[in-house]
Amino acid sequence: MEDQHSAPELFLFLASTVHDMKNSISVVSGTLESLLAAEQSSTTADPAFLQMAQMLYQTKRLNDNLIQLLALYKQVGKPGYPFDVQPQLVAQVVAQVVDQEKILLQSKGIVLETHCPPELIWTLDEDLVIGVLAHAINNAIRYTEDTIRLSVAEENGMLALRVEDNGDGYTQALLDAGEAAMDGLSAGVNFSTNSTGLGLYFSSEVAKMHKHRGQSGSIALENGGALGGGCFILRLP
Amino acid sequence: MDQTSRPNEADTTDWADKHYLLVDDFVGIRILLRESLRNLGARHIDQAASGGEAMKLLAKTRYDVVLCDYNLGEGKNGQQVLEETRVRNLTAPSSVWLMVSAEKSVESVMGAAEHQPDAYLIKPITEGVLLTRLNRVWHKKQVFREIDQACMEKDYLRAAKLCDAQIAQNKLHELELLRMKATLLLKSGEPEKARAIYEKVLAERDYSWARAGLGKIRMNNGEHEAARQIFQGVIVENRYYIDAYDQMAVAYQLMGQHEEACGVLEKAARLSPNSVPRQRNLGQAALKIGNVSMAEKAFRKCVAIGEFSVMKTVDAYLGLARVCGMKKDAKEALQWLLLAQREFPPEEIGLRAKITEGMVHHETGDYRRARKCGDELEAMLLEDPARPEKAICMELATLLFAVGVKDAPAGLLCYVVKNNHDNQVVQDEVQKIFDKAKMGDEGTSLILASRKEASDLMNKGVLLWKTDKLDDAVAWMRAARVKLPNNLRILFNSAQIIVSYLQQRGYHADLAAEAVEVLLYVDKIAPGQQRFAQLMEQLMQLTPDARAEDAPGAAADGALVPAVKVVAAPEKAVKTMRSRGG
Repeated sequence: MEDQHSAPELFLFLASTVHDMKNSISVVSGTLESLLAAEQSSTTADPAFLQMAQMLYQTKRLNDNLIQLLALYKQVGKPGYPFDVQPQLVAQVVAQVVDQEKILLQSKGIVLETHCPPELIWTLDEDLVIGVLAHAINNAIRYTEDTIRLSVAEENGMLALRVEDNGDGYTQALLDAGEAAMDGLSAGVNFSTNSTGLGLYFSSEVAKMHKHRGQSGSIALENGGALGGGCFILRLP
Repeated sequence: MDQTSRPNEADTTDWADKHYLLVDDFVGIRILLRESLRNLGARHIDQAASGGEAMKLLAKTRYDVVLCDYNLGEGKNGQQVLEETRVRNLTAPSSVWLMVSAEKSVESVMGAAEHQPDAYLIKPITEGVLLTRLNRVWHKKQVFREIDQACMEKDYLRAAKLCDAQIAQNKLHELELLRMKATLLLKSGEPEKARAIYEKVLAERDYSWARAGLGKIRMNNGEHEAARQIFQGVIVENRYYIDAYDQMAVAYQLMGQHEEACGVLEKAARLSPNSVPRQRNLGQAALKIGNVSMAEKAFRKCVAIGEFSVMKTVDAYLGLARVCGMKKDAKEALQWLLLAQREFPPEEIGLRAKITEGMVHHETGDYRRARKCGDELEAMLLEDPARPEKAICMELATLLFAVGVKDAPAGLLCYVVKNNHDNQVVQDEVQKIFDKAKMGDEGTSLILASRKEASDLMNKGVLLWKTDKLDDAVAWMRAARVKLPNNLRILFNSAQIIVSYLQQRGYHADLAAEAVEVLLYVDKIAPGQQRFAQLMEQLMQLTPDARAEDAPGAAADGALVPAVKVVAAPEKAVKTMRSRGG
């Protein structure tokens, strides 16, 4: 057993500060979502609409990063996340991801296709997997032409969750970063300027935490896929 | 929002007519959640900005759904609101409690707290997540409804059978049902069947709760060291599985290794500091090994987190009085004692305030006042033949020896030994108290004599039973219970002999009621014993069907059935069993 002899006051302060920030961000993104939802049902297009969609996108990114920081870096440098795997209906996980991203995608005119076997049950940490998939979709929004596809399949005893787009695909630097993240090399990723790097690192940590029968999860970045653009794959044992 | 396209429509219920309570100190979040609930069709939504406000509303209205933030600023936190609501029964068992937090906490995952919400939600909450989780909880409550009902009636075997029936239909809940079933089998005195379930689950995946379950089976068998090793292994794999720390501390305490027990509790308290019972246990363990500063820290924390909690305990106040006494600060010690007597009812404190006062005076060198307390306590013992529980008896004996009394404390210690005549660890502790009073040799022979007296009492009863003198055996054991009211083996054997009597001589309502009374008392002083479930089961089988009105003696039999079903205190058992996986 290892011990942590750090100042509890500092942790409390940080935790309560983060708590406040999350509240504020929740309100900002929630308000933006309801404004955008109202806008979409009206017939006349407001010029501020696009700017609002962009604001929502930025807010979601901020929120994503906060979730990651909270989940993994609360104990600085030590992944101390209380990991919680439970059997879940994968279709329910997908539905929750879709719901989180729905307004943003609609406001940006992007179509999200989903493919998931309705009865499939998998043992996973639901909150983390939702976080990884939402992050991958937020990332794909940046690169896609007009379509994103979220698909689930059981492949060789592993659960494969794919987020694909019809954009130009990942750059070589990103493909390399994806591999580096899986190798546990954070050296290739610059956290201070590159949020994609942080996202990849987070996703690979989540994948690796899932262990079963001597196998652990993984992530991969590829080009091509069903839509011909970038493809993010989360594989869970 | 388009609700028709959502999945699993078969699992949904109508959320529009339900009564909702939103608790969050941040008005923006309340507005946001209220909007989400309205989009689900909800019409009756109340709001509270603090734990105190929430308690007032909860006392007035029976809510169907409570959405409560964990972090509520000053005053009660979300967990404390939940605990008080459950203890005061302010919501129906069918109601849904969703705890909202900014991050996933150890408590949320490992089920460290005794009272668990139905689900945890992490911010930000979207409508989709809210509806998915509400439906999921609702569906799960349907799956567990009959099982919970059987548990409340303490009919664990029926509950276990109901688990099987649900497993056949609910693949998604199979794991939780298996976990529940294993707990039920343990309670029904079927550790081998429970072990088989844990091993089956572990063959599939390494779940901490299943491994800890195997540890608990070992511990119940008296294999304390083997159990300790299992709990240690669970912690190595999953350092957030708090229950394993608490169990490991118990294993150490049962082996008399108090230093180690204290060390484990300290680690658990660092990982999950906001549990009143854990800080209390840590304080008491630290006091036992003389670590005054650790005890002080734990008791102060215990008082602080207990301030707004129904779990608040007088133990922390008395503990702090002891700590201050040891630090020669009689003034503060007596203030804590005063506070304890002001904040807790006398029946909860009993003799302990006076004992602690005497200890404080003795430790701060006021021997005259210490002696006065001792004299008063001695008089109380003479006046009331009933004796407090083991730990208090031992504390009282320590004080009385310290102030120079001899016979009364020796008598108390003999009483303790007689009630625990097969427990070597307790006898060692008693010996230490005699040693400290410079009565080592006298103590040794008193312990031996007490042990012999208890086993003679028991053996005589068993002999009468084995030689078929059942009337004499029942009467003998009844008398033995009066002499040794807290001796588990005598209590169990007493019930066992009555069961034999009923089996061989026919059913007798008064005797059956006597056995039930004995067993329920055992379950109160030492919950979760396997023999309890076995003997209860046998008694239930012997009871003629109360509905068979025309059977002779049915009127008298009718009296027993409600006695078995009603006296059982259900709440706690159900809540502890439903703690989540990890």
